Amino acid sequence: MNEKHQYKNRIELLQGTLDMLILQTLQWGPQHGYGIVQALRLQSGDALQVETGSLYPALHRLERQGWVQSEWKQSESKQKARYYRITAKGKKQLVKDLGRWERIVEAIGSVMYVKPGESES
Amino acid sequence: MKWFSNFGFQRRNRELQEEINAHLQMAIADRVARGETEETARQAAVREFGNILLVQDVTRQMWGRGWFEQLGRDVRYALRQLRKSPGFTITATAMLAVAICANSTVFSWIDGTMFRPIPGARDTDDLVSLQRGERNFSPVPPFSYLDYRDLRERNHTFTGILAYHHDWITLTGGAQPELVYIANVSANYFDVLGIKPMLGRFFLAEEETRPAIPNVVLSYSLWKTRYAEDPAIVGKSIEIARHPLTVIGVAPEGVVGAMPGLRDDLWVTLDPLGTDAWRLTHRSGGAVWLNVIGRLRPGVSRGQAAQDLDTVMRNIVAAYPDQHLGDNRITLDPMWRSPFGANGFMASTLPILLAFAAVVLLLTCTNVATLTLVRFVSRRRELAIRQSLGANRMQLVRQMVLEGVVLSIVAGAMALVLTSWTSKTFAWFFRASSSPTTLNGSMDHNVVIGIAVFSLLAGMLCGALPAWRSSHAPAVEVFKAESASISGGSRNRKLLSGLVVAQIALSLPLLLCSGLLLRTLRNLAGASPGFEQDHILTATVGLNIAGYSHDEVQLIRHQILDRVAALPGVKVASLTDWIPMTLGHKGEDAYPEGYVPHPHESLQVYHAEVAPRYFESLHIPILEGREFTPDDDEKAPSVLIVDETAARHYWPGQDPLGKNLRIWGRLFTVVGVARNSTHMFVNESPEPMVYMSFFQEGYESIVQVETEGNPVDMALAVENTIHEIDTRLPVFDVRPMRESTQLASSFAVMQSAMAGIFALIGLVLAVTGIYGVVAYRTQLRTHEIGLRVALGASRVDVLKLVLFQGVWLTGMGLTLGLAFALGLTRVIARLLYGIGANDPVTVVSVVTLLGAMSLLACYFPAHRAMLRNPVSAIREL
Repeated sequence: MNEKHQYKNRIELLQGTLDMLILQTLQWGPQHGYGIVQALRLQSGDALQVETGSLYPALHRLERQGWVQSEWKQSESKQKARYYRITAKGKKQLVKDLGRWERIVEAIGSVMYVKPGESES
Repeated sequence: MKWFSNFGFQRRNRELQEEINAHLQMAIADRVARGETEETARQAAVREFGNILLVQDVTRQMWGRGWFEQLGRDVRYALRQLRKSPGFTITATAMLAVAICANSTVFSWIDGTMFRPIPGARDTDDLVSLQRGERNFSPVPPFSYLDYRDLRERNHTFTGILAYHHDWITLTGGAQPELVYIANVSANYFDVLGIKPMLGRFFLAEEETRPAIPNVVLSYSLWKTRYAEDPAIVGKSIEIARHPLTVIGVAPEGVVGAMPGLRDDLWVTLDPLGTDAWRLTHRSGGAVWLNVIGRLRPGVSRGQAAQDLDTVMRNIVAAYPDQHLGDNRITLDPMWRSPFGANGFMASTLPILLAFAAVVLLLTCTNVATLTLVRFVSRRRELAIRQSLGANRMQLVRQMVLEGVVLSIVAGAMALVLTSWTSKTFAWFFRASSSPTTLNGSMDHNVVIGIAVFSLLAGMLCGALPAWRSSHAPAVEVFKAESASISGGSRNRKLLSGLVVAQIALSLPLLLCSGLLLRTLRNLAGASPGFEQDHILTATVGLNIAGYSHDEVQLIRHQILDRVAALPGVKVASLTDWIPMTLGHKGEDAYPEGYVPHPHESLQVYHAEVAPRYFESLHIPILEGREFTPDDDEKAPSVLIVDETAARHYWPGQDPLGKNLRIWGRLFTVVGVARNSTHMFVNESPEPMVYMSFFQEGYESIVQVETEGNPVDMALAVENTIHEIDTRLPVFDVRPMRESTQLASSFAVMQSAMAGIFALIGLVLAVTGIYGVVAYRTQLRTHEIGLRVALGASRVDVLKLVLFQGVWLTGMGLTLGLAFALGLTRVIARLLYGIGANDPVTVVSVVTLLGAMSLLACYFPAHRAMLRNPVSAIREL
């Protein structure tokens, strides 16, 4: 019965990051939910396993925010699926997210890799 | 629109389903391509995907408006569940409706009286009534015009202070003379109240005291009934007591004047005919005739204002000490409990009734909660299944609470319909009297909000507790315990017992209070008021409101007395200007000759003006001296008859005969001592009373006859006899004394009637409550009881087993209830008469009644269990 709370936590934890990852994946072209999971897994070398319980809420939220659009299309394997496509607004958001992400990485990096003595000056 | 969005929702739901399906299909296809079999691929894909329903659920939440859709679903589910058990639904709804209605009815009475003290006035919270001297019930008008004007002009804490005096008068000039209630008012009267005229204008400041400005303002209802809503009435002349007055305006609908509970029909200035100059230029005696209401400045507290007025009043007293003997302190009351008018009585009765009603509601909630808990316990399997399917605890609780809320909303709607009728029953408690009473409950937005609050509270109370408790059980436990459960687990058993105990404990105080109030009513009815009231008829003759001269009035009075006395069937006839026990009295400061009172020392007495043979007709013995005679008229020296209390008050241990009292600055000689009798209420503390001679000081003319037979039979004859003297004489309020004096007990009747109804509801609820729980538990123990019998327990043992439960619960409830009740009776101690708040007889009988009823309620399930065939009982699971 607590599963739902766990999902929620994970969404919150990954919120910014997951949105960014999805938008980034959609940069290469429209993709369906299953494709996004596979793409993320392949590109991260199996390190990132996105839960469906996070992915679909995130996709639907992104669509509501106008960062992605969706349409039903046939896949290569003749499977009808919902394809998500990044919008112009979504691209702007991706640039913003990326900028923020880089600042975070930089900031965290400068804390983690601080050389002894430097912090004194 | 709603259907449209609902349609959109369905479509999105379907699409989500398809989307997830596609996801699974592609995952399966990938796995099959990697060489897995179709079946294992499917299983793995589904496992990998996770809880589909849950994914759908959290995704749906992203769509927004999710809670609304959930609420709709929960409501539909709740309705379905309630439809499944119509017995429970109908019982619970009906009980809640009655309990909510009890509250909203009393609340509508409070709303119609205390919350709306002056209909039509603006911001009545800022209005305060001014009282000079002691604060008591239905006091006499406390201010002279000059004192009022000084207070109005010298204070720093009021935006305005108004004054009024009202009385009956006859509207002449039409085909039929009509008796109406007229108010003399200060010019700022309507301004201070914040009322704008519907037609024409109200009074101008310069009209206030300028004599002989015969302008009149009509009330809406008078304008409608007597003047047929004439739109051109303003400027026309009407005749009041045979004097022409000009209509200058009409008040808006609903405006009935400034005294709570009384209805004015007309308003005129303080001296419209120029005949009242004396009253406007003196500060004591008959010039003290005005009721005063002030509007506080914003931000000023009542205490500050009282201090301010006290200072002004002290200066007035210092300047005119002789005109201000007695207590002159100013007290201010908010209008909801103003001693002038009805609200003083309302404030001492209605909140207590509301408290009773609240106990009834609490009791009902406990009862419904018991039923609900039993239902949830029997539905625990369903709840457990839903829980293991992923419903979280909050969702379950929300759902169950919603069932309670749905019930109480339906109950609230029923109560709303009921209350629109019961709110009007308030007027039943007030019989026709000599005052133009307009008391009734009101059904306005306040009451509707009140009902909403009551029902929401009720819904929460009877839904939340059982729901929380039921959702507590871990699903696994429920499935495991299913086969061997007893009353759904010990926690539920404890809660059920607690609820039953609470019901008994709550109903006991209701029963005790109603018992005490009913016995009070009996004591009041049985108490002798000290005068005869069974063969007395009274009739008011509007002599001084019909436009006669003073000499004519005196002549007519003598004629009335002579002719009525000569009627066959009349034993004794007399005249008076006051009827005892009608919620009114007249008071005046009286000092023994030579006594110099301290400043602010109050020496107030009640007074009444009575004609010869008054005491004889009421069978009040004259203990010393003599009764009044026809010779005690205006030419003779002023005389007094005092009652025992007054005699002791002024001349303890001395003979009062021949002593003098100074009233209105004049000396009155005591010629007789009458036995004490009731003035206002049977349970009053005796106040000193002096009787003056009617033909010396009488103002109102009330004919009082002692009849041989039923006084009602004489009513027509008396009225006709008076009309024989002059057909234009207004005769009204012709009724037996017994009917008038019932006014004094109308609040006791109201209290005991309402308490009785509430107690009855309480008793029924408590008894059905304990019956339900014991029956239910016994049913759950059928298997166990069957085993016991099979193992050799006798039927009496079974009976004892079940009964013991009931006895234990009843005992607990009675003990707690008694403690609660004895605390609560203190609150009503003031309302009791001839009986103590902890009267042992009442306590014992009430406890016995409740105990016996509860045990009887337990006996039936016990008896049923005893008669069960053990074999079938064991089989039953």
